[in-house]
Amino acid sequence: MSSLLAYRRSLATAATIAFLTALTLPGVAQSPPGFSPLDKSNPAASKQDESLKPHPTPPTVTPVEKLPLDKIKLPPGFKAEVWSYGHPGGRTMVLGDKGTMFMGTRLIGRVYAITDKNGKREVKVLLQGLTQPNGLAFKNGSLYVFAINKVFRYDNIEDKLDNPGTPVELTAAYNLPDTIHHNWKYVAFGPDGKMYVQIGSNCNICEVNPGIHGQIRRYNADGTGMEIVARGIRNTVGFDWHPVTKELWFTDNGRDWAGNAGPEDELNRIAKGEEGAFYGFPYCHAQGIPDPDVKRPNPCAGVILPAALLGPHAAALGIKFYTGKMFPASYQNVAFIARHGSWNREKKFGYDVVVARISGGRARIEPFLTGLLDEKTNSFFGRPTYVLPLADGSLLVSDETGGAIYRITYGAKTASN
Amino acid sequence: MSVTRNRWRPLVLGLAAAVFTGGPVLGQNPTLAERIAQCAGCHGADGNSPLPKIPSLAGQPAFFILNQLFLMREGVRKVAAMAPFVKDLKDSDLDALATHYAKLPPKASNESIDPALIKRGAEIVAQKKCVSCHKPNFAGDEQVPRIAKQRVDYMIEALQQIRDSKRESADTLMSGAVAGLADADLAALAHYAAAK
Repeated sequence: MSSLLAYRRSLATAATIAFLTALTLPGVAQSPPGFSPLDKSNPAASKQDESLKPHPTPPTVTPVEKLPLDKIKLPPGFKAEVWSYGHPGGRTMVLGDKGTMFMGTRLIGRVYAITDKNGKREVKVLLQGLTQPNGLAFKNGSLYVFAINKVFRYDNIEDKLDNPGTPVELTAAYNLPDTIHHNWKYVAFGPDGKMYVQIGSNCNICEVNPGIHGQIRRYNADGTGMEIVARGIRNTVGFDWHPVTKELWFTDNGRDWAGNAGPEDELNRIAKGEEGAFYGFPYCHAQGIPDPDVKRPNPCAGVILPAALLGPHAAALGIKFYTGKMFPASYQNVAFIARHGSWNREKKFGYDVVVARISGGRARIEPFLTGLLDEKTNSFFGRPTYVLPLADGSLLVSDETGGAIYRITYGAKTASN
Repeated sequence: MSVTRNRWRPLVLGLAAAVFTGGPVLGQNPTLAERIAQCAGCHGADGNSPLPKIPSLAGQPAFFILNQLFLMREGVRKVAAMAPFVKDLKDSDLDALATHYAKLPPKASNESIDPALIKRGAEIVAQKKCVSCHKPNFAGDEQVPRIAKQRVDYMIEALQQIRDSKRESADTLMSGAVAGLADADLAALAHYAAAK
């Protein structure tokens, strides 16, 4: 503990020195609207290996035989198969009413449509050239596409997969900030029929404008009636509603360059009647860790602490509750969470799917899909990104690195393809 | 979306260069050598650009070149001057071009470098930990570009575009890293990197 304190103190001292240095540098105060004048990231103070960097996503097809299917490990009775492949960078998964699987991406700029043709998956590039179209939602025959600062609605999309035509543009109605950092979207319709939208913090660590960044908002589908439902979030890239309580649960990614140990990613809940609550960013992380760079008195006062921690730099992204009939009864109402895997950590962490067993406002995390991280060589074979239970009770897991979707089944039921 | 004059200048220059150097008109299925000869019109026969605001490709990480060609082909990164050259590239062409340019030795341009700006650049580099992605020798890695020996004028313009959210394909961490930096700071970074 004392070494931890000493470490924090040395972090703080280094932070002060770097801050004073920054003050003597001319020109750093200029900043675009909505952007904090100073990103308080102090990577120079971090004791981490300075060669850590984010992992690239291949933009071209990974052949099916190169996918890491044989590496995947599951609890007894579960099996994995390749459900689809050949969609580089595919992340978010949203099903249309007629069975089309829509997939969003980030840097690759595409939205895919995957259809079933005689029991085989057929992949189409539905849209391309967008800026990080990660946010997809489907309602009443329409596909909603959220790219960075662009919102489109494609009506009757499943009848027009070969020629989606001109969408209805809702960009002005949603009026989202145009800053790029942490601004690729996750969106979903809630049980109240409203569109819930992520607005990330526009930095690694900084004072954000609380009226603009670090939120979850909800809107009417047409972009009117905006309300802020959660504040003080660094970046959530996945949320879902508990099937029984209907409360919103969301993952939140911890900051970088404050050590290999964390602060850990969070699983949070917006309890009934606590809409608009504050979740701590940038002052208070995880189970009450004050930020070393952005300080305020009583940093954790008034902060809703997480229901569970999801691991250091784990990049917990997609989350979905399970109500299917295929998996054992003990999986009823658990949440599956995809952990994309760390970059800002010397010893890699995550690259798996975990189960969150929820009891009241707390959750217990246990492993589910593993094997994609080789701890011995500190390398990974794939990056689980989002999860989606299907009507037959099986679970889909997207792998952004492999450009594939794996299907997890249980028991005697065999693959449909 | 407003496009500044400045932003289009290099594109026009690039197009002009492509036309005036008399790059070959390519047939139906051009060979790799024919394509490379076409690229040389602007990017230099040895992959080191002699033209203002045109980037050097020599010694770039292969993944970076493949990725950027892909993003331009798909229209994510919008560079009008490049559009006609990338639109018909197959994935295998991207691979071949990337492998070719990654092997060429990078050479600094003949732009003049200001030692005062190098000094200032070093301070910002330390503050922003640029080496974490661009590596200590600034040779880049995987999806991250080499900036050592890159053209100063090109880097200044690229940094401004990223800072001002005018480069749609920009990496989000990079846009966070340069947020709020003044033009003079960006120039200092460019001089520092070019001199590496």
